[in-house]
Amino acid sequence: MANLSLKHIYKVYPNGTKAVNDFNMDIKDKEFIVFVGPSGCGKSTTLRMIAGLEKITYGELTIADEVVNSLEPKERDIAMVFQNYALYPHMTIYENIAFGLRTRKVNKKIIDEKVKEAAKTLGIEEYLYKKPKEMSGGQRQRVALGRAIVREPKVMLLDEPLSNLDAKLRTQMRSEIVKLHKKLNTTFIYVTHDQVEAMTMGTRIVVMKDGFVKQIDSPKNLYRYPSNKFVASFIGSPQMNFFNVTLKKQNNDVKVEFLNVKEEISIPFDKLVKIKPNFLDGTKEVVLGIRSENISLKKSSNSLKMKVSHVEELGNETLVYGDLDLNNDAIGDSPTKVIIKIPGFKEIEAGSIVDISLDFSFLHLFDKESEESILKRVPDNNYVNVEVKDNKLDLFGLEFNLPKAILLPSSSYEALIPLEAIKVKEGDKVKVKENEEVDEKYLLTLDINEHVLFALNEKKYQSVDISIDMSQITLLKDGKEVICPVERNNVFVGEFINKKIKDGKIKSHNEYYLKFLDEEFPSTDLITKKMCQAYDDRRVFHEKFSFSFRPSSIKISDSGVKGKVIKEMDYGNNKKYVTLKVKDHEIVVLDSKAKVDDEVYITFNIDEIGVTEIGRDIKVI
Amino acid sequence: MSKDKKRIKRRCKKTLDVIITYCILIIVAFIFFFPCLWLILASFSKSGSIYSFDGFFPKEYGLDAFITLFTDTVMYNYQRWFLNTLFIASCSCILGTLLTILTAYCMSRFRFKSRKAMMKTTLVLGMFPSFMGTIAVYLIMTQFHLVNQMWGLILIYSAQAPMGYMVQKGFFDTIPYSIDEAARIDGASNFEIFRKFILPMSKPMLVYTALTSFTWPWSDFILPKMLLQDKNLYTVAVGLMSLGETEFARFAAGSIIIAIPIIILYFCLVKYMINGMSAGAVKE
Repeated sequence: MANLSLKHIYKVYPNGTKAVNDFNMDIKDKEFIVFVGPSGCGKSTTLRMIAGLEKITYGELTIADEVVNSLEPKERDIAMVFQNYALYPHMTIYENIAFGLRTRKVNKKIIDEKVKEAAKTLGIEEYLYKKPKEMSGGQRQRVALGRAIVREPKVMLLDEPLSNLDAKLRTQMRSEIVKLHKKLNTTFIYVTHDQVEAMTMGTRIVVMKDGFVKQIDSPKNLYRYPSNKFVASFIGSPQMNFFNVTLKKQNNDVKVEFLNVKEEISIPFDKLVKIKPNFLDGTKEVVLGIRSENISLKKSSNSLKMKVSHVEELGNETLVYGDLDLNNDAIGDSPTKVIIKIPGFKEIEAGSIVDISLDFSFLHLFDKESEESILKRVPDNNYVNVEVKDNKLDLFGLEFNLPKAILLPSSSYEALIPLEAIKVKEGDKVKVKENEEVDEKYLLTLDINEHVLFALNEKKYQSVDISIDMSQITLLKDGKEVICPVERNNVFVGEFINKKIKDGKIKSHNEYYLKFLDEEFPSTDLITKKMCQAYDDRRVFHEKFSFSFRPSSIKISDSGVKGKVIKEMDYGNNKKYVTLKVKDHEIVVLDSKAKVDDEVYITFNIDEIGVTEIGRDIKVI
Repeated sequence: MSKDKKRIKRRCKKTLDVIITYCILIIVAFIFFFPCLWLILASFSKSGSIYSFDGFFPKEYGLDAFITLFTDTVMYNYQRWFLNTLFIASCSCILGTLLTILTAYCMSRFRFKSRKAMMKTTLVLGMFPSFMGTIAVYLIMTQFHLVNQMWGLILIYSAQAPMGYMVQKGFFDTIPYSIDEAARIDGASNFEIFRKFILPMSKPMLVYTALTSFTWPWSDFILPKMLLQDKNLYTVAVGLMSLGETEFARFAAGSIIIAIPIIILYFCLVKYMINGMSAGAVKE
C-alpha cells in the first residue's frame, strides 16, 4: 500500500527513440490506475519502468516517498502479472506461488498458510500440486495473480493480463480483478489496450499515444470531457462523430457551418461560453465532435439531413449509419459520416433521408491543427475584451486599479486572465451563475453585466466580490503582447561541467559547475546527483542545456553576478519585481528594494533550477 | 485412355518410386555400415594381422584380441589409456559444459558493449579448422609447462568448448524472458534465475552439450598425439595408433571397446533430449 509519484519520466532508447515522454502523475494509495492506448504508445514501457525491469532514462520515480530509480525490482516491493503469465513450468502451482516468499526467507508455516489462502481466494486449491502445463489459460492467469498477491506488495502491476483469454473468461476475470482490488486494498496499475477494460475497472485512466500522456482522469470525465480529439475518438464505442466546421458568433447564437456539406445550424452561445473566443470569427477550421447517443432522429429548427446507409440492430439498441453528404454512402473515412445510437428497435430503410438533431449540451469542439479541445471543462484562461482608461482596467463595467508596473495608454485591449488570477471572496458585486464541482474545487461561472467570467475557488458562493492578480494577466493590442505575466521563468543556455581538482600528487576529486551567463556556478550535491543519474556516460558534460529560474529563485545580494536595474514593476501588496540587465540578458527578480539604475549583484538558488536538454527537448530536472 | 489404365500407371509409378528410394537407402546404409562391420569382424580375427585376411574378412575368428587387450599390458597398456581418456574426457565434459552454458546464457540474456562484435568474432573463428592453431597451442603449452600433462589437454578442450556456444544460445533465446523478469520481481538474483529456472528448463540442451563435450576429447587424436609423449599418459586414440602393424585385431578391438561408453551414455541421456521442458510457462 503506497503512493506513487512519477515526475518527468522519460524512456529514450540508444537510437534516440523516445518511448515515453515527460510522464507526470501522482498515484494515491489504493487507487486503481489503468494505462490505456494503442499499441506502441508506451503504456507497457511505463509499467516496466515502475517495476524496475526497464531503466528510467530521465525523471524520478517515487514509491512510498522513496526514490526507487536505482533500486532492483525485488527491492521495490511490487508484484507484477504478465500478459503471457510467465509461470515457472518445472514447478508445481504451489511452488510457483510460494517462490516469492521463499526467496524472502519467510517461515515455511506462514508460506503454507498464505499460499493456501491465495489459492482459496482465486479458486485454484485443487490444482496446487499440478504443473502449469496441466491447466487452462484462465487457471494459469489465476496462478499468476496468486503469485502476485501472496506477497502483499505495495503496488500491483498488471500488464494486459486478460488479453490472452477468450471474451467470456475475460469478462469474468475482469470483475474478479476488481473484487481482488477491493479485498487487497492496495494500489493497482493495470495496462490494457481495451477501452472497455479501462472504463470498467479504473478509478483513474491514463490515455497515452506515441509516448505522450493525452489525458489523466476518471472514466466518467474522460468520456464526458475529453481534452483532445484523440481521447474523444479512443474512448467510447461506437466512436464519436467528427465534422469539420467553422464557428461564427452572431448575437446570442453561434452559427456552425459544416465544411464538407452545405449545412448550417445555430447553437445558443450559452452552450459554448467556455470556448476560446478567437475560434468564433468564422475563419478558423474547427472539429465538432458529438457522441452517437447525443444525436436523435427528429426534426427541429436546427436539424440536419442524413442519408441512411445501413442499420445494425443489436437487440437493446440500434446503430444507424449514414452520411450528411446525401450523395455519399458513408463508406470508408467519409468526413461527413454519422453513427447514431438509438435505444430499442427501429426500422429504418437504407437509402432513406432522415432528419437528425444534435444535443448541444454534449458538443465537443477541437482545434483542427492541435486537436486540443477548445471547449474545456475548466478553461485555461478567460479571454475578454477590456478597456484601459486613466490607469484603470474596465472589465465589463467593473473597474480595477492597475498597479504601477502596468502603464498603458488608454485604449481597448484583449486580455487573457488565468482562472487562478481571479480571487473571489464573499460579497455582492458579482452574481455567481453556477458552481460546478471539479476535482475537489469549484468552477465559478461569474455573471458580470451579462458577460461570463470563470474563476476557481475552494468554496461555492451565490455572489462574490472579485480582485485580479495583475502580475498574471496578459494584455494584447492588435494581436501583439503588450503586457505579459511576470512570473515567467528566466531561461539561460549553458552546460554542466566538471573539474578535476588535485588534492595531492595522486589524490584528486571532482567538482561540478553549471555554466551560464559566462560564469560558473557550483552545483549542489542534489543537482549533481540528478544530472549524473540522468546520463550513464560523460554525455552530460557535452550537452547544451537550458537552465530556468523563477524570479523568486534569484536573489539580490552583496556578491555574485553584477547587473543593473533597468525597470521596476510594482504590483502592490509588497509584490515588486525588478528587471536587471546582466550581460545582454534581461532577468526578472522578485525584490522590493532595488531602484532603477542601481548596480546590484545577484545569486541563483541552484536547488530550484529547472534543466532541459536542448538537443532532444528532455526535461532532466 | 481409360480410368483403370490411368490408375494402374499411377500405382506402377508409386511402386517404382518406393523401389528406387529403398535401393538408394540400402546402398547408403551399406556404405556407412560396412566399415563398422568390417572393424567388428576384424576385431575377432584370430591371427591379428591384417595381412592374414582372406580378401576383406579374417580367415579365423576368436576372442584373443579382446583378451590380450586387457592381459598383455607390458607393451601396450590399454587399461591405462582407457582410464586416461575417461579422466580427460570427463573433466573436459564437466568444465566445457559449464563454460559453454554460462557463455551462452550471458550472450542470450545480457546486453553489454561489444557483445555483437564478440559473437561475430567467435562465428568467424569457428570457420577455421581447429588444427590450424596446433603449433601455437603447442608453444603456449610449452610456456606454461603443460606439455605431457593431462591437465594441459583438459584446459584446451574446456577452453575451446565455449566457442561453439551458438546452439545453446539459440536454445536459451527460446526460453521466454518474462520468466526471468517474473523471477527477478519475486526476488531472485541472476545466479538464482540461472540455477533455479534456466538450468532445469534446459535439460535437453545440457545433455546435448555434455555429450558433445565428452565425445570430442574421447575420440580426439591430434592434440593428445602432439602434447602427450609419455606412453603412460596416452589416450586410447594415441595408444592404438602406436600399435604395431601385426596388431590390427587388437586395434579393432580397442576401437570397439572405446565406442561402448558413448553408446551407454547416449542411451542413458536420450530420454532428456526431448522438447517441451517449458510447456505451460507462457501463452504461446
